[in-house]
Amino acid sequence: MHLKYESQLREPLVNGNKDYHQVTEDILRPIEAKPTKLWYLGFYIAVCLLMFGVYSVYREVTYGIGQWNLNKTIGWGWDITNFVWWVGIGHAGTLISAVLLLFRQGWRTGVNRAAEAMTIFAVMCAGQFPIFHMGRVWMAFFVMPYPNSRGPLWVNFNSPLLWDVFAISTYFTVSLLFWYSGLIPDFATIRDRATTKLRQKLYGTAAFGWTGSTKHWQRHESLSLVLAGLSTPLVLSVHTIVSFDFATSVIPGWHTTIFPPYFVAGAIFSGFAMVQSLLLIVRKVFDLEDYITLGHIEAMNKVIVLTGSVVGIAYLTELFMGWYSQNKYEGYTFWYSRAYLFSPYGWSYWGMMACNVISPQIFWFRKMRRNVYVTFFMSIIVNIGMWFERFVIIVTSLYRDYLPSSWSVYYSPTTWEIGFYLGTFGLFFTCFFLFSKYFPVIAVAEIKYVLKITGDNYKEQMSKVEVLPTEEFAHEYAH
Amino acid sequence: MSKHHWQSFGELNNSDAYKQSVNDEFQEQLPTEVDDKGFLEAKHPRRDFLKFLGFSTAAAAVAASCEMPVKKAIPFANKPEDIVPGNSVNYATTYIQDGDAVSVLAKVRDGRPIKIEGNDLSPITKGGTSARVQASVLDLYDTARLRFPTIDGNEAKLEDIDKAVASAIAGLGSAPITILTSTIVSPTTKDVIAQFIAKHPGSKHVVYDAVSYSGILLANEATYGKKAIPSYRFDNAKIIVSLSADFLGTWLSPIEFSKQYAIGKKLDEKKPEMSKHIHFESVASLTGSNADERFLHRPSETGAIAVALLAAISGQSISGIADAKLKEAIEKTAKELSAKKGEALVVAGSNDKNIQIVVNAINEALQAGGKTIDWSATYNTKAGIDADFAKLVDDMNAGSVGGLLIFGANPVYSWFESKKFVDGLTKVKLTVSFNGKADETTQLCKYVVPSHHYLESWGDAEIKTGYFSLLQPTINPLFKTRQFQDSLLSWSGSNSDYLTLLKGYWSSKVGGETGWDKALQDGVINPANTTLAGATFGSASVSAATAAIGSYKKVTTTELYLYQKVAIGAGEGTANPWLQEMPDPVTKATWDNYLVVSPAMAKTLLKIDLTNNGQADAYEVKPPKHVVSITANGVTVKLPTLIIPGTHPDTVGIALGYGRAKELGKSVFNDEAGIPVGSNVFPYASLVNGTVSFSVNEVKLADTGDKFPVALTQTHNIYNTAQGNRTEVMKELTLAEYKAHPTEILEEREAEVKPYGGLANYQAQGTIYPNSMNDRPGIKWGLNVDLNTCTGCGACVVACTAENNVAIVGKPEVLRGHEMQWLRIDRYYSGSDLENPKVVFQPLMCQHCDNAPCENVCPVAATNHSSEGLNQMTYNRCIGTRYCANNCPYKVRRFNWADYTGADSFQDNQEGIVNDVVLNMSDDLTRMVLNPDVTVRSRGVIEKCSFCVQRLQSAKLTAKKESRPMVDSDIKVACQQACPTNAISFGNVNDKKSLITVTRQDNPNRLFLSLEQLHVLPNVTYLAKVRNIEEEEKAAEKKEEKKSEKKEA
Repeated sequence: MHLKYESQLREPLVNGNKDYHQVTEDILRPIEAKPTKLWYLGFYIAVCLLMFGVYSVYREVTYGIGQWNLNKTIGWGWDITNFVWWVGIGHAGTLISAVLLLFRQGWRTGVNRAAEAMTIFAVMCAGQFPIFHMGRVWMAFFVMPYPNSRGPLWVNFNSPLLWDVFAISTYFTVSLLFWYSGLIPDFATIRDRATTKLRQKLYGTAAFGWTGSTKHWQRHESLSLVLAGLSTPLVLSVHTIVSFDFATSVIPGWHTTIFPPYFVAGAIFSGFAMVQSLLLIVRKVFDLEDYITLGHIEAMNKVIVLTGSVVGIAYLTELFMGWYSQNKYEGYTFWYSRAYLFSPYGWSYWGMMACNVISPQIFWFRKMRRNVYVTFFMSIIVNIGMWFERFVIIVTSLYRDYLPSSWSVYYSPTTWEIGFYLGTFGLFFTCFFLFSKYFPVIAVAEIKYVLKITGDNYKEQMSKVEVLPTEEFAHEYAH
Repeated sequence: MSKHHWQSFGELNNSDAYKQSVNDEFQEQLPTEVDDKGFLEAKHPRRDFLKFLGFSTAAAAVAASCEMPVKKAIPFANKPEDIVPGNSVNYATTYIQDGDAVSVLAKVRDGRPIKIEGNDLSPITKGGTSARVQASVLDLYDTARLRFPTIDGNEAKLEDIDKAVASAIAGLGSAPITILTSTIVSPTTKDVIAQFIAKHPGSKHVVYDAVSYSGILLANEATYGKKAIPSYRFDNAKIIVSLSADFLGTWLSPIEFSKQYAIGKKLDEKKPEMSKHIHFESVASLTGSNADERFLHRPSETGAIAVALLAAISGQSISGIADAKLKEAIEKTAKELSAKKGEALVVAGSNDKNIQIVVNAINEALQAGGKTIDWSATYNTKAGIDADFAKLVDDMNAGSVGGLLIFGANPVYSWFESKKFVDGLTKVKLTVSFNGKADETTQLCKYVVPSHHYLESWGDAEIKTGYFSLLQPTINPLFKTRQFQDSLLSWSGSNSDYLTLLKGYWSSKVGGETGWDKALQDGVINPANTTLAGATFGSASVSAATAAIGSYKKVTTTELYLYQKVAIGAGEGTANPWLQEMPDPVTKATWDNYLVVSPAMAKTLLKIDLTNNGQADAYEVKPPKHVVSITANGVTVKLPTLIIPGTHPDTVGIALGYGRAKELGKSVFNDEAGIPVGSNVFPYASLVNGTVSFSVNEVKLADTGDKFPVALTQTHNIYNTAQGNRTEVMKELTLAEYKAHPTEILEEREAEVKPYGGLANYQAQGTIYPNSMNDRPGIKWGLNVDLNTCTGCGACVVACTAENNVAIVGKPEVLRGHEMQWLRIDRYYSGSDLENPKVVFQPLMCQHCDNAPCENVCPVAATNHSSEGLNQMTYNRCIGTRYCANNCPYKVRRFNWADYTGADSFQDNQEGIVNDVVLNMSDDLTRMVLNPDVTVRSRGVIEKCSFCVQRLQSAKLTAKKESRPMVDSDIKVACQQACPTNAISFGNVNDKKSLITVTRQDNPNRLFLSLEQLHVLPNVTYLAKVRNIEEEEKAAEKKEEKKSEKKEA
């Protein structure tokens, strides 16, 4: 799969003259060593946040959705904003692992494992919101189409919310399988290196009896390709379907045909930003700067500036259509409720514009793309901006729709609403901390594929190979 | 060789182990054997595992299961003959509150009244009701009602009280007893009082009304020689001029007047004529909001306006009106009035005798007597004379009142010199209160003998001369109460009880037992002869009155006008949560009184400029409003401020009826904040020329810098935004425009749906689905609201709450936009004049769209469409995603944000989440008001208007049982039934003769659907509002001219 020629001009994907053994040592070190104090601190904070989130959800389930500040006009607020935000973040992983695999992008190997893990955890977080935003969450199983004695009474296949159920559960399942199948050779490596019985047993079980035989490798490769093929349409479909939650409604500001591509671009945008935030920390903490290089960071920044500009165009298109359609309701939503800075939610629209459209333009400069600090800062800004985007779409469309009589009073979140959001951060980071401790954060086996052709060592050696001058080559060729 | 076959070496060797195994069938030890360490230390072998598992699962299931509390329903041991469980029976009775009397039917279900409807047989209200009448059934189940008689606050037996009072009366000696009541409409009660007075010579009866009509009574005495209020006939008037009389909301007999007013406002499309209503007022009122033309003035100018109007009608020139705009308005009004002599009516809300004399003179000049004013029947509902009561207070302070028996009056709260009354009360030896609740006055009385609620009482009422209405109990008294009349009779030494007296009185008049039964069944006894009559006018007092008005001081400072709210009145509705939560029609505020200021004053006082988009938004979207301190007459009150257009720039208004005593119940007092709901503003009033005046001069206002939240249900007030006039929401036009161009609205609609093939093809072409989806043979329900006759009074809102068990959520929840009302009345302003805009009301309930956007988005199909065109809500299928509410363009869906009803499967999850008012609504007593036909919704589900599906089902069943097709008269939805103006029609659209079909067919030009262009295909239609305005006539003429010019060109 990676038997391809790579130009020497490209910078190496793995720095620092690594050999295979060293790669294994570097990446598996956190798993085999005791966790650092910093890990414990981070894990503790994450679990605290998770517990706060659990309490917030407990209150909401016990006392009702009234624990949040939603109202008769604004039926969705932070809950669905957070849902779409997390789902969006969950896009980068599959994009990196599947789409980049199909496009033979060698640089994906450095980041795909962590990105996929991030995807799975983000989708887990996202799933909490549609479940717990229900007024009667204990009846949530009603959304499952199962044979029943009520008629039988089926779900409503017309509802985009139902499509969500299928889209997200499918996406989660495929992502999880893809991730796990990639982990199997690495688990086998850990098993083989295990110094304790327990570790040997646990990782041995997880490795499903992997022996590294050629047959195993051949099947593994095939499976990866099949799953990549399956996930690729999912990358597009999940956020398309999430966008249908809005696009199929009658509410001005939601009822737009531009949503599917615009949502997918936004999802990739925020997903890559989140990958950046996480990997910049991981590479520093686990000393993996040789594997997650500036080249990786730059590549992802290019994706960010591209997708950021795509959503920017989408925003401008919406504004244009608000005027061009001459639909007074759309005009009002886009030009007053959103774009007018001094309208009650004008700040959120311009916050979104500043974070998502204006600030990523800094990545047109190579120096900035390769600056770790700028990248980290920007990755946070982009995720804030993408949160604003979902908030703008949901709240500014709802709070002033058709009947001025029902225009709502100010919507601001309660402690428990924020607590639920923080709780999903807790869930995400708890999972991520456990992942970084017990799972190889970089795909060991896959790095070894690319080491031969794109490693520092290889490139250095290649440069020593004698190369014929052009004239001589032409001469030889003429014979 | 042995033939012995062996199976094991053990058997061969016959070992000990083998022997034992042969002996012991069960070779292992019994698993449950307890060793000497005791049971707890015993080993639990494998077999026990299943036992323990079974036990612990069962134990956990028993202990942890969400056990619903068991509520026992006890069947009748002996079923009463006339009660069928589950069937409701209507009893005719009469709503009585502080002099107001309305003939009603009480719907009694399983022995408890649950709903009040108007009595169609009453020629006065003709089946109409008001919000207060609708809500009165909840007062019956008020947990704050007094439950037993008390002496000095301690429970006492009735016999003991009777004895104590008798001896106290005997001890009074010559000092007389005064019976202080609100207006008594009952002829037999008047008899009972007379008997008491006869028994105790020297005693007297004083009538006290919190908001009295002394001015009219005295003026009529001066000009007509009768101390009475005649019947007004708004239906006979082609032009109605009101000087601050809120006759559609609170003045005199609003239900009756609304009925009459609607007759004049109903538009026949073929002969488009309607009455014209010109309103002069200072603070925006319900009636003023409905007027065709409204003019604003200072309260102190009312007299001058009346005088000027009289002068103008008499052909003299106007003097004393400085404002040029107002002067022009008066001249124009006079011209219109003079043109319609005999068909004109002028009413004034003022309590000033002089002003009312001038108004009488105007009506006389307009030949109103016998036409729009009927002296053949006069009102008995308002008889209080302020001066009489003021004299009583003086007498009490002078110590010349020995005993005071109080019934239905609460002067400690509502008399402006409350302290003086309280001081006087301490000098009265015998104080008795018969009030049903521990109100401010009752608290200060030694003896309290609470009387029944009207639904528990016998009685009668003569609402107008010759118009009688009877009361009968609909439930056994809930508490140890005794009817006022019975108490009085027993203290008069009479042996008969009140029922005997009542029956005796009426049997002789209506022809014995059968006649009495018939009268009781009908509830009303009507006069046979109803010819209108005038009265002889004595003009002697007019010039004196005019001169007196001329000498009134010209006020230049800010003025304060104290008004009554439609729901709350002078405090009658404060303790009723349904009324507190009903948004005030004019301000859309709940649960508070507040200072009403004009946009112009807001600019100077609060520095809020409503013409500035940002400032208007900032004011609108945030519930906390500026708190202003209001100082006048030595009283200072701090209240939040609402900016209400239609208020004079130099006048502010505050509603009466708030700031009540804690003992009146959870709805009047905010326990958490330790403050009453709203503030009492009666102390601002004063006695002017012998009558109480609610307009106050020399008012000082100061912005305190504080803010206080006001729970508004509607914050944005106009439907023509800067981005475009949202005429699809609401349609209105003027009569002149209509006459000139009747199909204007039809054309507007045509233009809106033009992209979908115009109105003719709209239904089919607006969707990708086959049109047959919309074919609904059989029944198809539809509702129509005539915006021309709808006054926005809110009776339907409370009726809907009562019928459908709509939850009360309390102020904190309304503030958060969580109110649950299924039916709301949207109020919009239109026109260019910000200070005095036109107002239009639009009742909005679920539109039951045939192509409903809510239905296709529900993931679990909890809301779906019935074959009869209903948009149904299945509560037990709903999981509460709220997507339907988001996707409803009308925003009529309501979500149960918390456990408002106590119906949740989680126990004890209301404390600290909802406030005391809401908790109190789940009290066992309060819950008796619930309608058993309607599910009480639990937390987490969406609810909305169902078109009263329980009534539809019962109507269909009735027809089915009688083997006939269902007809219109079988069914009335709650809002339709409550409406005092018959603005709502409902029925089967497929029935060619039904009211709804006829209404829609007869009004093709005014018919519209709100937001029609969305292709949601609502089943609720509206008839556009038509205003009888002249200025617009000119505009219409111009339009016509332009059109004709174009044609010529």
